[in-house]
Amino acid sequence: MIEVEKFCLENGLRVVVHNDNSTPIVSFNLLYDVGSRDEDPERTGFAHLFEHLMFGGSVNIPKFDEPLERTGGENNAFTNNDFTNYYITIPKENLETAFWLESDRMLNLAFSKKSLAVQKNVVVEEFNQRYLNKSYGDVWHLLRPLAYKVHPYKWPTIGVEPRHIKNATLTDVKDFFYKHYAPNNAILTITGPVTTVEILEYSKKWFGEIERRPVPKRQIPKEPRQTEPRILEIERDVPFDSIFKVYHMSNRKHADFHATDLISDILSNGKSSRLYNKLVQEQNIFSEINAYITGDIDEGLFVITGRLYEKTSFQLAESTINEELDQIKNKSLGDYELEKVKNQFESNYKFGEVNPLEKAMNLAFHELLGNAENINHEVEKYRKVTQEKVKEVASNLFSDENCSTLFYKAKK
Amino acid sequence: MLNRKIAPIRQIPDKIVVTKADEIILPNGIRLLSINVGTEDVCKLDLHFSAGSRYQSKPAESRAALSLLTEGTQNLTSHQIAEKFDFFGSFCEQNSDRDFGKISMFSLSKYLNESLDLLEQVVKTPTFPEKEVETYRIKGKQSLIVELEKVTTLSRQDFFKGLFGFYHPYGFFAEPQDYINIKRSDLVNFHQSHLTSNLCTIVLSGKVGDSEINNVINHFGKEKWGNELTTLENLPKIAASEQRKYFSHKEDALQSAIRIGRILVDRKHPDYSALVILNTLLGGYFGSRLMKNIREDKGYTYGISSTILTLREFCVFVIGTEVGAEYTSLAIKEIYFEISRLRNELVSNNELDLVRNYLLGELLRSFDGAFTIADTIINLFEFNNLDYTFFEKTIHTIKTITPEQIMNLANNYLREDDLIECVAGSKKNIN
Repeated sequence: MIEVEKFCLENGLRVVVHNDNSTPIVSFNLLYDVGSRDEDPERTGFAHLFEHLMFGGSVNIPKFDEPLERTGGENNAFTNNDFTNYYITIPKENLETAFWLESDRMLNLAFSKKSLAVQKNVVVEEFNQRYLNKSYGDVWHLLRPLAYKVHPYKWPTIGVEPRHIKNATLTDVKDFFYKHYAPNNAILTITGPVTTVEILEYSKKWFGEIERRPVPKRQIPKEPRQTEPRILEIERDVPFDSIFKVYHMSNRKHADFHATDLISDILSNGKSSRLYNKLVQEQNIFSEINAYITGDIDEGLFVITGRLYEKTSFQLAESTINEELDQIKNKSLGDYELEKVKNQFESNYKFGEVNPLEKAMNLAFHELLGNAENINHEVEKYRKVTQEKVKEVASNLFSDENCSTLFYKAKK
Repeated sequence: MLNRKIAPIRQIPDKIVVTKADEIILPNGIRLLSINVGTEDVCKLDLHFSAGSRYQSKPAESRAALSLLTEGTQNLTSHQIAEKFDFFGSFCEQNSDRDFGKISMFSLSKYLNESLDLLEQVVKTPTFPEKEVETYRIKGKQSLIVELEKVTTLSRQDFFKGLFGFYHPYGFFAEPQDYINIKRSDLVNFHQSHLTSNLCTIVLSGKVGDSEINNVINHFGKEKWGNELTTLENLPKIAASEQRKYFSHKEDALQSAIRIGRILVDRKHPDYSALVILNTLLGGYFGSRLMKNIREDKGYTYGISSTILTLREFCVFVIGTEVGAEYTSLAIKEIYFEISRLRNELVSNNELDLVRNYLLGELLRSFDGAFTIADTIINLFEFNNLDYTFFEKTIHTIKTITPEQIMNLANNYLREDDLIECVAGSKKNIN
């Protein structure tokens, strides 16, 4: 049980506190409710580029990292389709430094030209390193626009292409900041040896005077229902053929979400899972196979990926996957298997809360979804999933007209 | 009105409270370390064996033996083992590095006993069934082929080969075909000789009390297992060539991977803590000189760092980065420039103070959470037989080192001629 205390400042900043005296370090996590789904289709990759610029100095403090490191702190950040998350770990004695630094860059940035020029380059190198100069690195650049025609999940967080990043201007940067970076669009969570009283005091002192900003209401087009199978075949200079199948699934708050996640566990969590056991271990059709959900807040994807052995044809690969999906649609699981995947979920979930920083991140995510305290009810929700529900969800999910398939062929 | 230009008062803790492990020697001689920290009802059990790749007789043997432990025992098939672990929500991870082989089990406290029953069989009576070995061969080969496509893999391999020589256990790398040649009987032998109680240390971490500890003792603390007579072979002499620069070509690579470094003294050496500070200044944190210059000023790379890797008998100092192909030579030039600055200029007190404080924070972070503490302590004890006084010595050095000492150290350890340089990328970008 994770004890949570919460308050909200007058300017709309939500603050979540969890006391944990077993560590000398405080984890300080600030989430902004803006991700790559909020980008202009002509300026993709911007939310992530912007995250880099948040380290380029703020209105009163020329450098972000240096004063933090000087107090023994460490920090980083990440951006995904849905939100942007900044985190600091710092010795308890110097916690106030984290408030000072994070509040100043929420107040206003320095908007340095040099920082923009350099970070554009850095992000292009990140693009190269992680997506272009790597076998199979461009998979999501191919899959997303295949699966999504309208919704901004059709581009990856890094952006459609390096050109979009190179084109960013300082005006774009400023507009983005005032539109999305605001106390009323952020969630602060803190875990470690702290009291809510001191956090309230620091929060008021450092964040309290930052004014609310008009954050536009999010208007994202809903992805229309897919009505026919989509198939893409490409050839690349990679060592082995791979197959990718993605299916549209529910959003994060939908009642089907937990059952969908459990289906991915039935298929590929652990060595006893169906796909791994049959197709890797017993039949040697794939060298690797995985099923997982993207877990996005809007309607996300159920993903199956497999790396083929040299002797395996795409046709065989696809038909064996389909057979397994048919099994879940047509035959009940049995109590044992359902209990197994629920146990696996509970275990993974609890292990995710051992690290104090991960705990802080998870609390922020639950608060974003509606309520940080729900972190304690997640296991229950999975426990309640029934066999009938699994079958029903699988039947809706696994149809050819809901599926996009990518055949990623190795150039011979 | 709040003055935001002034930083809050900072304090640097004088002392660091080190969370120590409870330590017992079990009846069969195994050392058991336990760390009771955490809010969740979970625990992690690590079995460390002196069974890394340096002790193997054939390529990939250590890794294969560790991986295949869970693939069949005297009483259970591979599938039965997987079913049972998965049902309890427990999972195992096996790793093998140069010095150690390790199996870690993660378990909900409520299923610890059941999971230990399984783990005991897996560790003591694996059978390495031929069918599962065959799957491992083809999988292992395939994933290594994918790995070898990466420029980072190529430069890393060149680097260790260059430092130690290809036939030295610290410089050797398995090739794809080696996986195909793995023999079941070799794995059986390796298990008998090296995954044994007399080469094992156990760490239990998480929410652990007497009952969890007793459970572990019942499963792993009573009888010995395996061949008790194995003696660990000493490392042969380093057989590196005189060559300083290595290059691997990768057609059309958009980025080049660079590794520059050398062999260093081990952690027992009196210079070690000071070398950590030197390394941190150069490339050991986000604000380091390499990051500032090559990423934050020039934008040649997404990241660059320098690290001191710990091996049982040495440390290895290595600078690593991937840079845009067109920046390859420029980046290398800047790396040497930053190293020469350390040799020729005194570091300012301002920068040194920052690094002192950052490192004290890092030390505290190594006690943040049960599993982090477990890793910190096992690394301390196992690698170089150090004890907790190591932290005190490190803190003392961090607090007292002078700019002059750092410059001397750079002149002793970071001479350009003593560093080897490995680049993997496309030929057309290298002058």
